[in-house]
Amino acid sequence: MSNKGARNLFIIGSLIFFAIFLAMTFDTLGQLDSRAPNITQAVDDGKMVWHKYDCVGCHSIFGNGTYFAPDVTKIAAHKPKSYLKLFLMDPKGVNPEAVMPKLGMTSVEADNLIAFLDWVSKVDTNGWPPKPILATAAGVAGKALSAGQLVYQLQGCSNCHSINGIGGNIAPDLTNEGEKRDHDWLFGHFKDPQKYTKNSAMPPVTASEEELGQLTAYMMTLKHEVTK
Amino acid sequence: MTIQYKSQKMAENFYTFAVVLFLVQVLVGVIAAVQFIWPDFFILKFHIIKTLHVNALVVWLLSGLMGATYFVVPEESQTEIWSWPLAQFQFWATVVTITLVVLGYIWMGLDYQANKTIFGTLILNEGREYIEAPRWADILIVVSVLTFLFNMFMTMLKTKKWTGIQGVLMVGLLFLALMYLPGMFYSKSMVKDQFWWWWVVHLWVEGAWEIIAGALLAFMLMKTIGAKREVLEKWMYIEVGLVMFTGILGTGHHYYWIGTPKYWLWVGGFFSALEPVPLLLMVWDAFRTTREARNVTNKAGLFYTVAHAIFNFVGAGLWGLIHTLPQVNQWTHGTQITAAHGHLAFYGAYVLLVIAMIYVTLPALRGIKDYDPSRAYLSFWWMTISMVFITMTLTGAGMVQVYMERLMGLDYEAVKTNYNLWFWIFRAIFGVGFLIGVGIFVLDYFTLKEKTAVKT
Repeated sequence: MSNKGARNLFIIGSLIFFAIFLAMTFDTLGQLDSRAPNITQAVDDGKMVWHKYDCVGCHSIFGNGTYFAPDVTKIAAHKPKSYLKLFLMDPKGVNPEAVMPKLGMTSVEADNLIAFLDWVSKVDTNGWPPKPILATAAGVAGKALSAGQLVYQLQGCSNCHSINGIGGNIAPDLTNEGEKRDHDWLFGHFKDPQKYTKNSAMPPVTASEEELGQLTAYMMTLKHEVTK
Repeated sequence: MTIQYKSQKMAENFYTFAVVLFLVQVLVGVIAAVQFIWPDFFILKFHIIKTLHVNALVVWLLSGLMGATYFVVPEESQTEIWSWPLAQFQFWATVVTITLVVLGYIWMGLDYQANKTIFGTLILNEGREYIEAPRWADILIVVSVLTFLFNMFMTMLKTKKWTGIQGVLMVGLLFLALMYLPGMFYSKSMVKDQFWWWWVVHLWVEGAWEIIAGALLAFMLMKTIGAKREVLEKWMYIEVGLVMFTGILGTGHHYYWIGTPKYWLWVGGFFSALEPVPLLLMVWDAFRTTREARNVTNKAGLFYTVAHAIFNFVGAGLWGLIHTLPQVNQWTHGTQITAAHGHLAFYGAYVLLVIAMIYVTLPALRGIKDYDPSRAYLSFWWMTISMVFITMTLTGAGMVQVYMERLMGLDYEAVKTNYNLWFWIFRAIFGVGFLIGVGIFVLDYFTLKEKTAVKT
């Protein structure tokens, strides 16, 4: 290849790739609003609070920022808002071990920041951050097992299937089962798997109608963590 | 060796500013490392120290690259720069702006309420990583960069040599200037905020800056070895072309989890996995050319040039590749693995690039024929060994974090303060090692002189 040819390849190729990138940007921008809740005045004001105190100097959102302090993408979904407010206004007053300095945040600023973090926690992030495998399996997320989860355990479903990486791998993964099937399919499938999936190696689930209903309800909750 | 055009001397001003900021950057870096162990160490808290650390980095590298350009363009165009007063103005305007911005950060660190909103924009710090500089400073920086680009372009226009090296250098700088603009407006949506933020951050370091690196690599190989321009320029075009073909759509690897559509997982994963290819080509280019070397006068310059090519590939290429696929990134995103990659990538790709340019061009700027390279080597080994271990400790900390926090579900703070403590301690120790290396380099920069000091 001549130098001129290499130069032209560089220039024209770059322009083409940039044009593709621009087209994808255009498409993405059109989709963003439907993947997140509406932005209220409080959310916007809260975002300015986030910027004002340079929160990103220690924390991160969507995993982008600094890794000196916890990522706060899901903090509003996982921690009580009353706790967050007290902590934001006086971290060491709530937890003497806290590293965060007292920034002098007002009550209004704290409310707005929490509204902003609540908005952030509801954005569809393609399932990030993933649920921790072992904690989820051990059910230590602060909740008792649901009726459906109990049926799942008692029936030994996890001998063959897995959810969030825990369980067997000889049968289909159920992590996002609720997105793939509807209620009727699952319920009928438990009674007679072969009727729904030809040559299925799965035995029928021998449980009462009520238990099958609970198991189905549990399956329907297995989706990417998106709350709207 | 001496400069052919007096106005190339402007390069030294920018180098000096860069070297001073480099020292500041690493000093606050050591403070930050200690704050991982004792958060209350020092008057300024971590967020300010971190802001200073990354901003000093960006500014000193840019300053070094501008200095390099002030050297390269007159050399390639075979003429004095178009306007010396404009260059002087641009230099001092940059220094004053940056100093004001730094003072603003420090003020904000002493008074948390100081960062007020005026006309809808924060006056001291925009609170966005890497581009924290407030809007008024953004505008001044853009003016400075445009002045600089205009001056360089007019210089080229004087003789119309249009060599490949300065052409690609200018394309890189122009792209750099343009990609600063997407960071200059406010988005209400945090998703859009981060979407445009990555245009700046990614398209700088994995786009524009790598183009500049490609051009400067060719220039340095030509200067230190006397390699043929024809061959160097051809490979340069191929390298920077591949940088763009992989890097532009590689931006997608930042669009996996920020609220953007799922197709970015495919696009980002595929193209970013190819990003190391041009960097590997640069390593091959450096070795192929070096093998032809007959009589190298500037050994340390060549040494840093080759080291830059290698660590650009290892830090930016390999350490990025290990966590660029979405299947892996889902677990490693937002952990110390990212910090490890960031450190080795910036060091290999750009710190070594600027230092290499300084060693390649400084003898001419100072009118030195031959200098004693021992300090250059010494500082290289102090810095490089320290940085490799900093990267190792951060990678280790990241692996522990991924396992305990992401897989087991332990609390962030518990993992950080208990299980990763030793990694922080070792990182701080190697941080001091790095500071020693920088100290040797800074000393060498200010005292570089003729080897044969015996004069009668």
